[in-house]
Amino acid sequence: MSNQKKRNFQIEAFKHRVVVDPKYAEKTWKILEHAIHEIYNHNASGLSFEELYRNAYNMVLHKFGEKLYSGLVTTMTAHLKEISKSIEAAQGDLFLEELNRKWNDHNKALQMIRDILMYMDRTYIPNSRKTPVYELGLNLWRDNIIHSGKIQSRLLSTLLELVHRERTGEVIDRGLMRNTIKMLMDLGSSVYQDDFEKPFLEVSAEFYKVESQKFIECCDCGDYLKKAEIRLNEEIERIAHYLDVKSEAKITNVVEKEMIANHMTRLVHMENSGLVNMLLDDKYEDLGRMYNLFKRVPNGLSMIRDVMTSHLRETGKQLVTDAESSKDPVEFVQRLLDERDKYDKIICQAFSNAKTFQNALNSSFEYFINLNSRSPEFISLFVDDKLRKGLKGVSEEDVEIILDKVMMLFRYLQEKDVFEKYYKQHLAKRLLSGKTVSDDAERSLIVKLKTECGYQFTSKLEGMFTDMKTSQDTMQGFYANHIELAEGPTLVVQVLTTGSWPTQPTITCNLPTEMAALCEKFRSHYLGTHTGRRLSWQTNMGTADIKATFGKGQKHELNVSTYQMCVLMLFNNADRLSYKEIEQATEIPASDLKRCLQSMACVKGKNVLRKEPMSKDIGTDDAFFVNDKFTSKFYKVKIGTVVAQKESEPEKLETRQRVEEDRKPQIEAAIVRIMKSRRVLDHNNVIAEVTKQLQSRFLANPTEIKKRIESLIEREFLERDSDDRKLYRYLA
Amino acid sequence: MPPRASKRKTAPPNSSSVTSSDGRSVFSKTKTKGLGKIDRLFNSYANSSSGEIDPDGIVALCSDLGVDHTDVRILMLAWKLKAAKQGFFTQDEWRTGMKALRVDSLSKLKKVLPELEIEVGKPLNYEDFYAYAFRYCLTEEKQKSLDIESICELLNLVLGAQFRPQVDSLIEYLKVQSDYKVINLDQWKNFLRFVQEISFPDLENYDSSLAWPLILDNFVEWMREKHS
Repeated sequence: MSNQKKRNFQIEAFKHRVVVDPKYAEKTWKILEHAIHEIYNHNASGLSFEELYRNAYNMVLHKFGEKLYSGLVTTMTAHLKEISKSIEAAQGDLFLEELNRKWNDHNKALQMIRDILMYMDRTYIPNSRKTPVYELGLNLWRDNIIHSGKIQSRLLSTLLELVHRERTGEVIDRGLMRNTIKMLMDLGSSVYQDDFEKPFLEVSAEFYKVESQKFIECCDCGDYLKKAEIRLNEEIERIAHYLDVKSEAKITNVVEKEMIANHMTRLVHMENSGLVNMLLDDKYEDLGRMYNLFKRVPNGLSMIRDVMTSHLRETGKQLVTDAESSKDPVEFVQRLLDERDKYDKIICQAFSNAKTFQNALNSSFEYFINLNSRSPEFISLFVDDKLRKGLKGVSEEDVEIILDKVMMLFRYLQEKDVFEKYYKQHLAKRLLSGKTVSDDAERSLIVKLKTECGYQFTSKLEGMFTDMKTSQDTMQGFYANHIELAEGPTLVVQVLTTGSWPTQPTITCNLPTEMAALCEKFRSHYLGTHTGRRLSWQTNMGTADIKATFGKGQKHELNVSTYQMCVLMLFNNADRLSYKEIEQATEIPASDLKRCLQSMACVKGKNVLRKEPMSKDIGTDDAFFVNDKFTSKFYKVKIGTVVAQKESEPEKLETRQRVEEDRKPQIEAAIVRIMKSRRVLDHNNVIAEVTKQLQSRFLANPTEIKKRIESLIEREFLERDSDDRKLYRYLA
Repeated sequence: MPPRASKRKTAPPNSSSVTSSDGRSVFSKTKTKGLGKIDRLFNSYANSSSGEIDPDGIVALCSDLGVDHTDVRILMLAWKLKAAKQGFFTQDEWRTGMKALRVDSLSKLKKVLPELEIEVGKPLNYEDFYAYAFRYCLTEEKQKSLDIESICELLNLVLGAQFRPQVDSLIEYLKVQSDYKVINLDQWKNFLRFVQEISFPDLENYDSSLAWPLILDNFVEWMREKHS
């Protein structure tokens, strides 16, 4: 085969030069430039979006992005300068309207332009790190309009003027304001802040400074606070309507500072209308308003709290040290309860039950209740009164409420052990005289005390209740075993366990023979079933019911104390008895005998005995007779019961001494406990620890603690350290 | 005081020890001899029936020494003797004390008293002596405190020379106050500490919140009231 020349077909690139029209860029730009003009002149409808887009696209593609961009800037700037002039020319109120209108126009134009130049926005601009079209449009607006010399200050003063007008009560065009402010916000937060917000805050501060000064001169506290609240709400509303929500905190700060913080002290202490007056008059609404407003400023609430505390302490102190109120313990405690209720309500209703205020209330009460050393006694007397008669007919829930309130006062006491002593005494009297209104109420209170103070506190009290119950059973057993006694006088015995009941010195008197025999029978019956116990009759605590027939045949049943019974029974065998004879026969101690005779011979309506001479006091040479002329409306006559009274001075001293004596072993036990665990401890810490341990019972006196330490050193439980004299050592 | 030299006046009959100039190796002989002198001195004051020096004996001793029997130096002597009972010296106490003092005659005893005072004055000894003085006065078996009267005398005796103004004020106070009828050892010890540490009469560095006994708190308060 021969080599054939083949003609290979080759496709080659088109080699002839394409000549780009040198004027291409310029021509295309001119098209676009014209379009922009038209857009600004509201003639956009005649334009073809597709053509313009394509032109822009081509420019960028052929690397004429630079020219396009700079052309855009120039054209837009030129237009904005025109616009600026027209805005400047606007007169008075039309200024803002014109600005707004032009802004809207610009926005619309900008959008269209951006759409047209989208390709450039996406390619050329990011590559050359230039500002995107939309943002560029905003910046140009900002620089040429808002920051133009003639417009900038005029804009600000117009806006501020409008705000001021609104503050003085005029109605303004809020929509216009909103749009203008929105424009500033759109231009960037720094524009909003520098061109509006900062000056706005300054001007507002000035405004409120002046206004608050004006108000404080002419308003009372309540009114001022109302006005302040109104202004505050106004500002918040303003923000909601046409300002940036981020400005709310700033403007409220301004109002709070100018209207509240700067005048806080003056408001609180304002005469006749300040905080103290509001408290006194229970002005819940005003107090609540004050609370809410002061909450917003630093130290506002603590100021209210401090003033309230010192006022409360002052009132409390007066209440407690007032000699008049100390005369009636029930009244005394009731006033304390009322005061507490009052403040509880105030804190609840006006101070939103804030914990800090509750604490202030509690600490104040604790402070002044303990200023009167008789508070523990009085509270016990109050309870005594309620349990005797005050709670009669009161519903169970109400009883609980009252007892809970009493417990609150109890908690404030520093000397709880004093209360315990009195409570025991009063409870004993109540139980023995059978005068308690409600067993359930008694037990409920014991449970509350137990919860508060622990088992130790109430074990003896519970013992007292148990004794009462046991005695009932014992009596039943006694009479069941001695049916022959059913005809004679009825004996009711309460057997009291010595440790549980308050101690009394036992001095027995001579009982009338009938009673003595009966009592003996009981004693042998009891000791028969309970060997190893000792019984002693407490003749100073009992009562008796006796039937008496007087001279004219009037019959009465007399309810008397045991002592009185002994005296009266003597008159069954004698018409006339001298004091000395009575004393000898009954062996009742002299002071008791005198009181006993006095209550039967010298008290109107109860004078079953007649005395010669007819003096008020009992003399040792007096003579006594049955008062045959005795009359009474009632068949049953009660002569002198044993009632819990406020202690007389010597009794008070004695109780106080006993309490002090009881404290000594408690202090010593605490010292030993602490030293045993610490081994070595310095003086001040011992005092501190002991005080803390005993806090729930009473407030320990450092001097007393020192005495106890020395006593323990003497008895070789502790020693002083030989090197460091401040230390004590525990001696095992 | 010169060391006890060996005084051999006559050679003892069956001494087997070597005689030499230094006293030590012949200690056993000297001891017996020295003891003899001490015992003789003891016997010259002791009550023959009880075998101890009783109060009368002490009075005699004091007059021979030329000191008053209430002088503090006798108390110091008792301390040195570690005498257990006030007013009495037993033979053992006497022996121990005399040996410790290195005396065996009355004249030597007299001479040694000033040195004894100096010895007692040393801080460590003084505290011991001070506490001893209190215990020495306890007469009954289980007695732990002294009555105010005795305390005042004791204060005067023991501290009077060195701390006259404090002692005077303290005695005055003790006599007028009524909180305490007796003083115990702990309080007594703190009196010494008080006069040593607290500036007088301004009492400026006294801090009642520290562990001073209550009686001193009360004393300071009384002083301050008096001087205001």
